Amino acid sequence: MTHEDAKFILHAYRPDGSDAADPTFAAALKMAKEDPVLAKWFERQQAFDRAVAAKLRAIEPPAELRAAILAGGRVSRGPRVAWWRQPRWLAMAASVLVVLSGGLMFWPKAAAAGGPILAFVAEDSRHSETHGGKGEPSGELIARLTRPTTRLGDGLPVNFDTLRSTGCRSISFQGRDVLEVCFKRNGGWFHCYIVRQADFPSLAALAKPAIVEANRLPVATWSDSAHVYMVVGEASLDALRRLL
Amino acid sequence: MKAWNNPTGGVSYRGMPGEEFRQLVDAYYAPLHRFALSLAKNSSDACDLTQQTFFIWARKGGQLRDTSKAKSWLFTTLYREFLRGRRRADQLTALEDLPPGESDPAAPEVDVVTGMDASLTVEALQEVDEVYRTPLTLFYLQELSYKEIADALEVPIGTVMSRLSRGKAQLRAALERKEAGSRNKVVPFGSQLERKQR
Repeated sequence: MTHEDAKFILHAYRPDGSDAADPTFAAALKMAKEDPVLAKWFERQQAFDRAVAAKLRAIEPPAELRAAILAGGRVSRGPRVAWWRQPRWLAMAASVLVVLSGGLMFWPKAAAAGGPILAFVAEDSRHSETHGGKGEPSGELIARLTRPTTRLGDGLPVNFDTLRSTGCRSISFQGRDVLEVCFKRNGGWFHCYIVRQADFPSLAALAKPAIVEANRLPVATWSDSAHVYMVVGEASLDALRRLL
Repeated sequence: MKAWNNPTGGVSYRGMPGEEFRQLVDAYYAPLHRFALSLAKNSSDACDLTQQTFFIWARKGGQLRDTSKAKSWLFTTLYREFLRGRRRADQLTALEDLPPGESDPAAPEVDVVTGMDASLTVEALQEVDEVYRTPLTLFYLQELSYKEIADALEVPIGTVMSRLSRGKAQLRAALERKEAGSRNKVVPFGSQLERKQR
């Protein structure tokens, strides 16, 4: 075995020593131990590999990625651009905003604080087939959500404990309750997620509704004195905006 | 009405206990994301690839007879999803035909790497040709042996070793360029990677 042969093999030797028991490396390792020139090269190579590996490990995934994966992964196959992020739709949305801008909301707006819960509800909304009975009676809230003239940001009648027993769905996220009510409006299904403000202090308290981007979906969010509301729609961005 | 409480805080996948899935995610989502970031070169696509990989696991992973191979399965699946999206098989073949590079260029001082921002190091890694970058990233993640990398990429073991050797040569050159470039300017931490991700 020549120096070059040994180097060729030792390039594949992981710097954390995981391959120490692999017989493929035995002869090259023995040579590196006995030959001072090769030993010096190997030492420097391993130090270099360790340094690069450490830098790679230092890259942390986005905070919301884990929650999004646990929320159910993607529905569609393969990387794709959400329809509402495609240039032609963005251009149309921008045109609509220019015409209708009244200071009520801004688009797109970064989902700054509280990313994980927003990403969670956005992802969860993609799996509405698992949500159970959509639109089943749950009192005044459903009626209010469904009424064509209701503007959601004007306030909703929510008693969190009561709704938990009569609402559409109750989910636990990071050990805290998330209530979800499905409702139909303007010809499309929407999912209204409600959490206690005290349970998610990192969520920004927004007195007026805003649309934020979470996990590549538009989410309308606002809060009152006790709750934070997040509404995700299966219909268009414009349909979501009309609710507010 | 449907109440659906999961005490683990996660969501149960069809046919798979939520806790088991969560453990799998916790163990591998970070290295998978790093691998995806190296391949896709932007955070958004890397997140998509990582999510897609676990989504496929949720649908098909239960069919895996030997669960100890879950790690290899996940990395292999992510890579195949990346290739499926890129459909670059022809270009990969062309790259393989490149003439040999430097056989053994001088390794830069380790201090250069250790003193460098992690994001800058990843940028240098992303400058390595894809055919070498893929096994090189898997090697530096240290999750898979060279044999497992060969299986994942469906190439012979000797090819993996050759690509690691050439990939390291390209990485050294890229690191030297980055280091030379950063000597003359002050770069706020993370700004390089963020700019690339936009």
